[in-house]
Amino acid sequence: MLTYIIKRILLMIPTFFAISLMIFVILNFAPGTPGASLAGGEGTQSSEDSVGQRESYQIFKEQFNLDKPVLFNTRFSLTQEQVATTVLDILNSDRSVPISRQIEAQVELEDWGGYAVPGLIELLRSEASVEARSYASRRLPLNAKRRLRNLYGGRSDVDDRAWNKEVLAENKVLAEWTFPTDAPSTRQDEVRELWVGWFKENRSRWEYSSGEKLLILATDTRFFKYWTNLMRLDFGVSHVDKRPVIEKVFKKLRYSLSLSFTAVLLIYFISVPLGIWSSVNQNTAADRGLTVVLFMLYSLPSFFTGVVLLNLLTRGTPFTVFPTSGFESLDTSAMTTLQYLGDVLWHLVLPIICLSYAGLAALSRYARTGLLDVIRADYIRTARAKGLPEFVVILKHAARNGMIPILTLLATLLPTLVGGSVVIEVIFGIPGMGLYVWESILLRDYNAIMAVLLIASGLTLLGLLISDLSYALVDPRITFD
Amino acid sequence: MSELNPDGESPILGGAGDDLTYGDIVWGQFKRNKVALGSLYGIFALILLGTVAPLLASNQPFIWELDGQRSYPWFTTLFDRLVYENPVDIFFNLLLVALLPCSSLVLWRLRSLRKAELVKRARRRRIRQEVILLLMAFVAVYVIILAFPQQSTYTPYPKLMDRLEAKGEQQVSAVFPPFDFGFRDTGFRPLAGPGGEHLLGVDNSGRDVAVRLLYGIRVSLTIGVVAVAIYVTIGIILGASAGFFGGRVDMAIQRLIEIFMCMPVLFVIITLIAFLDHASIFHIMVLIGVLRWTGVARLTRGEFLRLRNQDFVTAAEALGYRRRTIIFKQILPNALGPVLVAAAFGVAAAILLESTLSFLGLGDVSAPSWGQTLKEGYSSGKWHLILSPGFAIFFTVSVLNLVGEGLRDALDPKLRQ
Repeated sequence: MLTYIIKRILLMIPTFFAISLMIFVILNFAPGTPGASLAGGEGTQSSEDSVGQRESYQIFKEQFNLDKPVLFNTRFSLTQEQVATTVLDILNSDRSVPISRQIEAQVELEDWGGYAVPGLIELLRSEASVEARSYASRRLPLNAKRRLRNLYGGRSDVDDRAWNKEVLAENKVLAEWTFPTDAPSTRQDEVRELWVGWFKENRSRWEYSSGEKLLILATDTRFFKYWTNLMRLDFGVSHVDKRPVIEKVFKKLRYSLSLSFTAVLLIYFISVPLGIWSSVNQNTAADRGLTVVLFMLYSLPSFFTGVVLLNLLTRGTPFTVFPTSGFESLDTSAMTTLQYLGDVLWHLVLPIICLSYAGLAALSRYARTGLLDVIRADYIRTARAKGLPEFVVILKHAARNGMIPILTLLATLLPTLVGGSVVIEVIFGIPGMGLYVWESILLRDYNAIMAVLLIASGLTLLGLLISDLSYALVDPRITFD
Repeated sequence: MSELNPDGESPILGGAGDDLTYGDIVWGQFKRNKVALGSLYGIFALILLGTVAPLLASNQPFIWELDGQRSYPWFTTLFDRLVYENPVDIFFNLLLVALLPCSSLVLWRLRSLRKAELVKRARRRRIRQEVILLLMAFVAVYVIILAFPQQSTYTPYPKLMDRLEAKGEQQVSAVFPPFDFGFRDTGFRPLAGPGGEHLLGVDNSGRDVAVRLLYGIRVSLTIGVVAVAIYVTIGIILGASAGFFGGRVDMAIQRLIEIFMCMPVLFVIITLIAFLDHASIFHIMVLIGVLRWTGVARLTRGEFLRLRNQDFVTAAEALGYRRRTIIFKQILPNALGPVLVAAAFGVAAAILLESTLSFLGLGDVSAPSWGQTLKEGYSSGKWHLILSPGFAIFFTVSVLNLVGEGLRDALDPKLRQ
């Protein structure tokens, strides 16, 4: 048993890795950019006066590693031709490339960061047009910037502070080494010499051994950065409010859990007796009627029921019994605990009905078939033959065995329990996980979406394991050895 | 060779007593279940209703006569991408055109085959071959129509009375379908209740709800069927190879199944559809198809594991059949039962998922969708916008579920009567 559990858990690690890889790739290659509003539309500005705005967007991208390639980083092999072409595309002096490519080239050069420095230096030294060389000189201080350590979040120690000071000083000096397109040639030569001299001095920063290349290829990427953080259970911070995602998730969990936990409890407390009752009265008119009703409930889309209930009972068309939306009343400070609980329950009645009835229908059918499977077994006949009262036979002998499949289903409900329901939470305005995902999707908050998706899939994995194990736990006939 | 008729409804049912195939048995069982049979007819009714939608409601008149010049816009615009933007509509319009000639062709062939006095199985094989040919021809015509889109200029045909008032002296006469507006036509009084020429009222943007629901049948059914077709194909191929080859292949495919099973599919689909700039119903179909195949794969794998070592497979191997033949012609027909049940439930689930997406305001805004109307009902609180799309979804989903249920009972040897 223990070996089985260990084996399963070990198998879960690569599975989880693959899931996270897949979700990560899907999200990152999906069209649209996060924080696009920061860049002023989808990076449409190419005029000079938006440089400040572009720079702050670039800082934002660096902060979230969005300037890095998703899976593999091959930027160490950038050639000077590539850099020169990109610069020419950005300048687009002869209007030979479409605007879209111009913008793309700009983003490309920004994202290349330090990797483009050798290429830019070469461009500066070359016989290219004044515009190109001037652009290279203005681009160089930005691309040659080194990253500050532990700038965003986390504590910085003495070493870090010293390093940051050094880098900042260097950046300040480098920022001076530019020239406009109409600068005299002496100034141009001066700037060029300064850059060439600086580059010779720091040459080692751009000379990669093959080992380093391999390291860059695999590690200087979005996915690697994300995963190293994930190993420390750090899901990153939200793009929207710069707060850790996990904090938010825990806050939301309270709402979703109280909703779905009550729903699951309700489902089990109603469906198991219902299933037992209808299997005992198998093929009577009542059983048939119940089956039909439950089947109808099963096919009734929950968002439809939600909207109907909402309209019927909260909006005054025709009744106003329940509050329209939310988890609790606006002002809960004056309430006693009991009053508060009542208030929350009052808000949750309709969402819980919507969340539970479909599951109720499905589960009571499971319960019915589960019991029907055992009710004809020999040991039930024996129990009856030795004169036990019927309810003892059913409840003690049959139900215990017949409910095994139902019990193990509980574990597979784990992710639903935590993930909440997007539609129901949107309809009833419950600020739980479902609504959080929905809002994060609309705001393109990658870290938040990733966190919720990963938690949900991790819990599914766990649920599968628990459900397999609980089979063995409640049914001694099943072993994994 | 065991034969299973995939749809379980063969056009001919041989006389009693002779040579029953597995398909015959299942169909016979299915027929006894009156609810399931009725639901099957319900599905056919839905398909038919979706197919004849332009006959009932279109803004293109059948006949249009202006100053003695007669034209037939309804017929000439059936495949016009300006009138029917969506390939789904083109498909159903082609179905509408082909409905009469094809069904008469089929009836004629059935009669002539019955006269030919073949043995039942041979006759059935002939029928299957010819049906496949017919389907292939249909698809070919459809692809050709899609590949060479008809481009004309869109001419609005205003209603007769408006036209007469505007150009008093001109001679105009026209024959319109019973409802002379399309699902995209706006301009009616927004949120007007049911009554008059608007059977189910008007939505928030001034469009007729009944016509939108009618054309919505096409969208919903297509999404359900195509999405399920995609994932059944993926699931069968992966599940069959896992169950047949076993060992490493099985191990790898099982891991893949596990990965996809643990992905929160609904979240992923919502995220991706929300991220796409111009999400169309095809994105939804493909996404559902690509992400939800695990159930079918597991079923097929289990069936293949069960059948792999049975005598007929060994016999086929001994006869030197190719591996592909053994997998697809020998084992697969016997493994198909549970997959069919899963497919019936799957179509219902896919339709539900699509309406959930459009209820959330995702997906194709230009295609008429039931969830879209329900969403307008949610935000406006108008009962006619809530109940009619809701019942449309409910009816479709429950009919499909009932067929699935009936099929499952029919396939279950324990319940056989």
